[in-house]
Amino acid sequence: MRLDTDTFREIADSLVRNKRRSLLTGFGVFWGLFMLLFLIGGGAGLKEMLSKNFAGFANNTVILISSNTSKPYKGLQEGRYWNFEYKDVERLRQMVPELDVVAPMISAWSGNVAYGSHSSSASVKGITADYDKVETSQIKYGRFINEMDVEQERKVCVIGKDIYNELFPDGGDPCGNYVEVGGIHLRVIGVDFSSGNMSINGRASRTVTMPITVAAKIYHRGNTVDIICITGKSGVKMTSLESRLRSVMGRQHSFDPTDEQAMVILNTQQIFSIVDNLFRGLNFLVWLVGLGTLLAGAIGVSNIMMVTVKERTVEIGIRRAIGALPSEILSQILMESVSLTLLAGSFGIVFSVLMLSGLEAITKHEAVFQIGFGTAIVAALLLAFLGALAGLAPALRAMNIKPVEAMHDE
Amino acid sequence: MQIELHNVHKTYEGAQPLHVLKGIDLSIEKGEFVSIMGASGSGKSTLLNILGILDSYDEGEYIIDGRLIKGLSERQAAGYRNRTIGFIFQSFNLISFKTAVENVELPLFYQGVNRRRRHELAMEYLDRLGLKDWAGHYPNEMSGGQKQRVAIARALITHPQIILADEPTGALDSKTSVEVMELLGQLNREEGVTIIVVTHESGVANCTNRIIHIKDGIIGEIEENREHKASAFGTTTVMK
Ligand SMILES: Nc1ncnc2c1ncn2[C@@H]1O[C@H](COP(=O)(O)OP(=O)(O)OP(=O)(O)O)[C@@H](O)[C@H]1O
Ligand SMILES: [Mg+2]
Repeated sequence: MRLDTDTFREIADSLVRNKRRSLLTGFGVFWGLFMLLFLIGGGAGLKEMLSKNFAGFANNTVILISSNTSKPYKGLQEGRYWNFEYKDVERLRQMVPELDVVAPMISAWSGNVAYGSHSSSASVKGITADYDKVETSQIKYGRFINEMDVEQERKVCVIGKDIYNELFPDGGDPCGNYVEVGGIHLRVIGVDFSSGNMSINGRASRTVTMPITVAAKIYHRGNTVDIICITGKSGVKMTSLESRLRSVMGRQHSFDPTDEQAMVILNTQQIFSIVDNLFRGLNFLVWLVGLGTLLAGAIGVSNIMMVTVKERTVEIGIRRAIGALPSEILSQILMESVSLTLLAGSFGIVFSVLMLSGLEAITKHEAVFQIGFGTAIVAALLLAFLGALAGLAPALRAMNIKPVEAMHDE
Repeated sequence: MQIELHNVHKTYEGAQPLHVLKGIDLSIEKGEFVSIMGASGSGKSTLLNILGILDSYDEGEYIIDGRLIKGLSERQAAGYRNRTIGFIFQSFNLISFKTAVENVELPLFYQGVNRRRRHELAMEYLDRLGLKDWAGHYPNEMSGGQKQRVAIARALITHPQIILADEPTGALDSKTSVEVMELLGQLNREEGVTIIVVTHESGVANCTNRIIHIKDGIIGEIEENREHKASAFGTTTVMK
C-alpha cells in the first residue's frame, strides 16, 4: 500500500466528487459522534451543577429535625409534637462524645429585609458561631457571626449574595449599614457569597444569618430550637450514631427511641451517595446510547459503502483493466472509509464542542460542560478503528471485482 | 509482440454452461493491424478479453512473445494489463467523476509515476489526439468521438505493444468512425503497435490489413486485406 500525497489526492477526489454519496455515508458517523460527546459533556456538566448545590457542606453532617411522634410512649399519645431546646446542644455534646460540631439553628421562613428604599425577600437563620463548620460560608466583605455576637446578643447579621445585590445595587462594602428584619434593625457585618443550594432553610444567597440569641428574641422562640446540625469527629460513621441520638433525645423529650418518625435524621452522606449513584447510572446510559449510535453509524457506513462498491463495479473493473492490483483496490476502499469516518467524525466533534459551549453560555457558565482534549483524541482513534472496520467488508468485495466487469457497462 | 493461440477453449459456467470458444488457433505477428469479425454472440469479445488478460481461458495455450499466459499471479497480470496491453472499449469506459486528463493519467498512477510527470504526459497525448482544450472536461461533457479519443489516449500513454479495441466505433457515427480507424492505422504504421480490432462492421474491418472471421467459437476464413478493398461498400467510407 502506497501512502503518499498522490494516493490521498486520489481518495479525496473520489470522496469530494461524489458528494451526495459521501454525505450520505458520513452522516451516521457524524451524528453518532456528536451524540456520544454531547451526552458525555452534558452529563458531566449536569453532575457538576448538581454537586454545586452541596457546595460548602461538610459531608459528614447530620441534621436533626423534630417531628410528630408516631408511637405512644409512657402514657403520652402518638402524634404529639415536640421541640429541641437550647440545652439539648450541651446534652448531645456530653452524651455523644464522638460528635465534633453541634450547632443549633432557628429558622424563620421568609420575611422581608429592607435597606433604605430597597427591599428584598429572605429567609432568616439564627445560628451559633459553630454553624460555619457545618455549612462553610464564603465571606466576601466583613466576617461571619462569632461567639461574642451570640453571647452578647449583638444585633448583627450576615447577608447572602442575592440580598446584597438587591439592597446594595451600587456594590461596595455594606458592613456597618443597618438593615431592617422583622421590625428590628441589624447591623450588617458580612456578606456571604457561597452559592450552595442545599443550605438548610433556603439558599445561602437569599438568607439573612444572625446570632441565634437574637433570632430567638425576634421570633419569640424562648428556649426552643428548630434544627440541630451535628458533624462527627473524623473517622466517625454518622449512621452508626443514629440509635444513640434517638435514645438521648427520646429520654429528654419523652418519645420512644425506636420511633423513627419522631425525630428526622438527615444524613448528607447518604444524599451525596444517592446523587453519586444516580450519576453513575446516568453515565452508563450516556455511554450505552452514545456508543450505540456511533456503532449504528459505522454499520450505516459499511452498508452504504457496500452499495457504493456495487455501483462502482465498472469503475473498479476499469481500474483493474488498466493495471490496478487487487490490494490497491482494497486499500483505496479502506482508506476512503477511514477518511470519510474521520472527516465526518471531526465535524461531529466540532459540532458537539460548539453545542456544549452553547450549553455553557445558556447555563451562565455555572459548570464545565466541555469535553476534554483527551476525550476528543480517544474519540478520533475510535473513529479510525470503526472506519477501518466498516470499510473491511466492502473493501474485500471490491477487491474481488474482476477486470472483465469493466465490460458490463451498458 | 507476437501473439499465438493454440486450441483455446472458454466455457461460461452457470445454470446453463455455455461453450463459447471451441478451440481457437490464431497467430498474429508483431506490428500487425487486424480485425476480428463475426456475428453477434460468436465470441469476439470473449476472445478479446482473453487476449487482454481481463479474463481467463479453460484449455489450450495463449502465448505472448513466447511466454505462456496462464495461471499468472495478480501482480504479473496487472503488469501486462498496465504496460504491455492497451484496451479500448466500445462504451469508452471512462471514469465519470474524473476529467479527461485525469482519466488519461490513471494507468500511470498505478505505475507510481508522480503527479506532475503524469499530467505532462497525459496533456501531451491529449494534444496529439487534438483534445488539449478538453483536458479539464468531464466525460459527460464530451461527444462520443471525443470520449473515444480520450480512451485511446489512455490506452496509449503507457506505450503498450498491443492495443486491443472492442468495437471502438460501435457508439460513433460514420465520420467519427473513420477518424478513429485512421488514428489506429496511423499508430500501427508509425509506431509499430500491434492492433487488434473487434467489429461486426465490414467497413471498419476493411481499414485493417487482415480480417479474421470467427464463427461459432472457431476461426473461420482469414482475409488478407493489404489493398483495403474487402468492403463491398467502397474504400473511402465506413458503412454503418
Ligand atoms: N460473463 C458471461 N457469462 C455467461 N455468458 C456470457 C458472458 N459473457 C458472454 N456470454 C455469452 O457468450 C456468448 C459470446 O459472447 P461475446 O460477448 O463474446 O459475443 P460477441 O461476439 O462479442 O457478440 P457482440 O457482437 O454482440 O458483442 C454470448 O452468447 C454471450 O451471451
Ligand atoms: Mg462483443
